[in-house]
Amino acid sequence: MAHTKKSNSQLFFNGLLSENPIFRLALSMCPAVGISTSVMNGILLGVAVLFVQVFSSCTISAIKNYIHPRIRIPTYTLTIATWVTVIDLVLAAYVPAAYKEMGIFVKLIVAFAIITMRLEMFAAKNPLIPSFWDAVGMGFGFLFGMVTLGAIREILGSGTFLGFDLVGEKPLLFFILPAAGFFVVGFMMAIYNYMDLVFKRMKEKKG
Amino acid sequence: MKQILRITIGLIISCLAAGTIMGSAYVFTAKAKKHNEHQKEQDTMLGLLGYGKGKPAPSALKLQSIYRYVIDEKGSKYLGYMFPVKKGNDSGYGLLVITLEGKFHAFHELKITAEQALDAGEREKALAAVLKGTFVYSDETVAASMDGKRVAYLLPGHFQGFKTFIKVMLAVDPSYDILGLEIMEHEEDPGLGGDIVQDFFKNQFKNKSYQKLKQLEVVKEPLPEEYRKALEVKKGAMSQEELQRIRAKYQDSDIYALTGATISSKAVTDGVKGMVKRFAYRVEVLERVVQSQKIPAAF
Repeated sequence: MAHTKKSNSQLFFNGLLSENPIFRLALSMCPAVGISTSVMNGILLGVAVLFVQVFSSCTISAIKNYIHPRIRIPTYTLTIATWVTVIDLVLAAYVPAAYKEMGIFVKLIVAFAIITMRLEMFAAKNPLIPSFWDAVGMGFGFLFGMVTLGAIREILGSGTFLGFDLVGEKPLLFFILPAAGFFVVGFMMAIYNYMDLVFKRMKEKKG
Repeated sequence: MKQILRITIGLIISCLAAGTIMGSAYVFTAKAKKHNEHQKEQDTMLGLLGYGKGKPAPSALKLQSIYRYVIDEKGSKYLGYMFPVKKGNDSGYGLLVITLEGKFHAFHELKITAEQALDAGEREKALAAVLKGTFVYSDETVAASMDGKRVAYLLPGHFQGFKTFIKVMLAVDPSYDILGLEIMEHEEDPGLGGDIVQDFFKNQFKNKSYQKLKQLEVVKEPLPEEYRKALEVKKGAMSQEELQRIRAKYQDSDIYALTGATISSKAVTDGVKGMVKRFAYRVEVLERVVQSQKIPAAF
């Protein structure tokens, strides 16, 4: 079993930058394109994913020695589904105000590739504490990606930010439509790749 | 063989564990969830009648549900209305069955308490006890009355939107003029058709008279700026007289379509139109039968 050698803060920033789920790993593109039409949507889905990712990663990491390797994928799906259901029920019962906004997003999460992938790649091979930090990093990375996409699309498409009117009209209606989602994701990936290149060159110069 | 057994047992155990966790979460939260849903509906109803935070509803205000069922008895269809009735000092529930032509067919008293009537399963049990044929639940209407006088009807309903159904709650006064519209659930495109929940769209329906509503159209013109300001109710943004003037000016205007979402705008307009028209016809038939048969209705 190959344990990670990264420190907790490295794990956190790993998810946010060098392995950002949307812009670097290109996972969970469906919600990234479909739902990121406003900043608020991005925040709500991001927070929902963060919670499910942390709970699922911790669960799998805690019971990894008891999972038969041949049935690991069904077990991951089962774990995610359980946490999604529990979070959905608890929100609906005790935080109705938040549920009203987040309800539809929470139910979507079961099928998210990013969560299953993190369980398989990381939580199933590492102890509890690093798994927790990896999950937090990935969750925030996803949140960051969704909010960035949401901000770009909301400002350009609806002329608003978090619902506040900035321009007073809809500048480029195209940005709210699904096709623009791919456009913006592609653009952000290019920026991330370029940043990666710049960092590598800086390191080479130093070395 | 040993492998298969291990895998099977492993899967069974994990499924059992997951099921237990989900099940217990459901048991603990079910009651609170149901309560919240009911509360949300009640709040929406009161909000449409103009009550809310800072202006609580008076205790004289009574909200009573009328449930409509479609009954099939020996191949012929009837409409069944279940509503509260007076029984001496107590109040109970009764089921009035009328033919599709609007003639009286039968009246049954139901053994059900007001508390039980909130639950769909309990209602069906009570109905099955008195009816011979099969029946299907159709819809609910809430009659609001104050000191024995009818003030409004609240109509929960749904109609086809751009993609799937739009669930709404509509408030109309006894002469079927619209008091307000609230969108409960929808899946229109965010940023486009999703704007049907915005005040500047849904409040256009407010105060439309029944006469106007019958021929309400959707116009593809930009929403006048002063009308938009009057529709987005912000406190202190506009003097009371100014508000009155603008409201009167646009009283008989058609619905201004949302930019880029003509189909959603038209769906809501036609849906509301249909809901009110059908309701007006049904409630008139119901009132006529109730009066001619001297049924002690308590709604």
